[in-house]
Amino acid sequence: MNKKRNSLLTIASIVALFLFLWYASAHFNKYSIRILNDIAIFMMLAVSYNLINGVTGQFSLEPNGFTAIGAYVSSLLTLTAAQKHAMFIIVPMIHPLDTLHLPFLAALIVGGLVTALVGFILAFPVFRVRGDYLAIVTLGFGLVIRVFSNNAISVTNGPLGLKGIGAYTNLWWSWGWAVFSLIVIMRLVNSGYGRAMKAIRDDEDAAIAMGINSFKIKMIAFVTSAFFEGVAGGLLAHLITTISPTLFTFFLTFNLLIIIVVGGLGSMTGTVIATVMVVWGSELLRVVDQPMHLFSFTIPGVPGMRMILFSVLLIVIMLFAREGIMGQKEFSWNGFLNFLRHRKQK
Amino acid sequence: MRFFGRLMFVLTVLLFAGLASSSSFAKAVKVGVVLPMTGPIASFGQSDWKGIKIAASLKPTVLNGRKLKLILLDNKGDKVETANAVSRLIFKNKVSAVIGAVASGNTLSGAPIAEKAHVPMVTPASTNPLVTKGKKFISRVCFIDPFQGKVAAKYVYNNLHARTAAVIVDMAQDYSVGLARFFIKAFKKMGGKIVGNTFIQTGDQDFSAQIAVVKAHHPDVIYMPTYYQELALFARQARQFGLKQTIMAGDGASEEALIKVGGKAVEGLSFTNHFDPKAAVTPLGKKFVKLYRAKYHEDPSAMAALGADAYFVVANAINRAGSTNRIKINKAIRATKGFKGVTGIITLVNGDPVKSAVIQKVKDGKFVYVTTVNP
Repeated sequence: MNKKRNSLLTIASIVALFLFLWYASAHFNKYSIRILNDIAIFMMLAVSYNLINGVTGQFSLEPNGFTAIGAYVSSLLTLTAAQKHAMFIIVPMIHPLDTLHLPFLAALIVGGLVTALVGFILAFPVFRVRGDYLAIVTLGFGLVIRVFSNNAISVTNGPLGLKGIGAYTNLWWSWGWAVFSLIVIMRLVNSGYGRAMKAIRDDEDAAIAMGINSFKIKMIAFVTSAFFEGVAGGLLAHLITTISPTLFTFFLTFNLLIIIVVGGLGSMTGTVIATVMVVWGSELLRVVDQPMHLFSFTIPGVPGMRMILFSVLLIVIMLFAREGIMGQKEFSWNGFLNFLRHRKQK
Repeated sequence: MRFFGRLMFVLTVLLFAGLASSSSFAKAVKVGVVLPMTGPIASFGQSDWKGIKIAASLKPTVLNGRKLKLILLDNKGDKVETANAVSRLIFKNKVSAVIGAVASGNTLSGAPIAEKAHVPMVTPASTNPLVTKGKKFISRVCFIDPFQGKVAAKYVYNNLHARTAAVIVDMAQDYSVGLARFFIKAFKKMGGKIVGNTFIQTGDQDFSAQIAVVKAHHPDVIYMPTYYQELALFARQARQFGLKQTIMAGDGASEEALIKVGGKAVEGLSFTNHFDPKAAVTPLGKKFVKLYRAKYHEDPSAMAALGADAYFVVANAINRAGSTNRIKINKAIRATKGFKGVTGIITLVNGDPVKSAVIQKVKDGKFVYVTTVNP
């Protein structure tokens, strides 16, 4: 009974979300639409990052590398041969790649699959180590990808980067993928695999002793997360229409790390809330960078003020909600309805 | 309670009065500025903004007395933030033109938005040739990397009479990889020979491997387009190992820290740059340098000068366009011809300036002006 009601409520809220997007795409200005797209893409990145980092408890720092692979693969596939020819002014592009061309959706999926493949291969050396060492190995991987994209000029156009990538990403693509990834990952977390992942997070040795194949479970988390990070990279590339190695520095990973820690490691709904807060919030806070006129006083704008305010907010959150906004809990309809009923009785 | 309500009412009225008085300058012409004021390349953005502020104090109005109002947004040196900021300026603040950004990768992400909305965008310092390529609304006031590479090649070939060069690239810096490629192309075309091509990484401390490569090939000159930190350390070690060749670098060398760290070893090190305060030839340039020194007690960097030029080119174009119509302003920007700016005389061709570069050199622990190379 409850189960049926809950799935109905979930479906209804997804429908409501898309109705809102339908309204937004017709009535909001392009700036607001851009922010909505940003939120969706970062949500997808953060949710998939949280699968490996929060749910499985493997402190990995790979998302910038995976996002870069997805972004490069999919944008090289959607660019036309003529565009590539005009862009590669240092060294011409190597053959089969320069004439390959795919439609957007196919390019995104190929981008995701290639990233997943790289994740699969990477998992063998990476999961030989645990804890801090894992962080170092994956950090190194991100650097390797960056140096590769800077120096493999006949494939990536090196430091000049790619430009003129079709602006295919719209609200439907970005939110469609974000909701899809959220559903897939939530289903995974709530399955037997998900429980095994949590067991590994809480105590890997005990989990192995209970007969969990820890390598296999970690591999599933890593490859799933790689696939969605790759697709999100593709969406990001087709939103900002240009990519270069500087986009995929450690700062990208760092931003995602902030999001998942603020939201709560292991909590997907917490991640969703934190993404909205971090991405939209940093745009809202731009107001404090501007000079303000109150009565006849002028408060001069200090650029960077919003970052200070933002840091203070983060500190406050970490002080009062040490495990992030949601901790390890998830939003559930039962809890939500109970909460409402409780308030009514008062 | 009633008293409180009344108080709130009065306060609200006052607040709105305050807000209204601030918007009484509604006739101001709005120009957006997108710069990295925080983040890894903040120092460039800060310098640019200083230059723009000086320029604005020199020429605060356009169109016969209408104030030019600058709206500064920070992009943290990030692509996503730049796209957000440019779109905020265009669709929310409804600016007439945009100045920015600094790093080419960032400008490239804001450019398609401006291009699509038909808003002119002028970047002070993005040197990547792709920035303006195929665009109708994107212009810049700095020279491009292929030109800087060519200038360096010309200088070492003609003035230093070098026929062979070793190239050292920082493979973690897009700037370095790009510039080195363009230098190699130009130097080979002139008849020079590249005898050693070796790599470093930002943050390297020990360069003995690279020095061994260079030493084995006996080049006439070493071209090392990296940032000042690695340059200074490399120079020190190279001199210790007895390498006596002149080191040639790009505009990334232009930082006092080069001399502080490099000391005697960087004596004679030459590099291409956008601007030298001593070589300011135009009246506007001289005025700018004087005002800048008076306000900040230091010489304006190339970044500051370029920022000022972006401002002047936009302001000048608004005047010539005679309106705040974005398309007319863009036409006027693109038609800029023989404009006597701070960094030299600027003529825009398809949005790229045709202008001179300066060569600077370290001499007696100071940056000195060597020569100006014309295109």
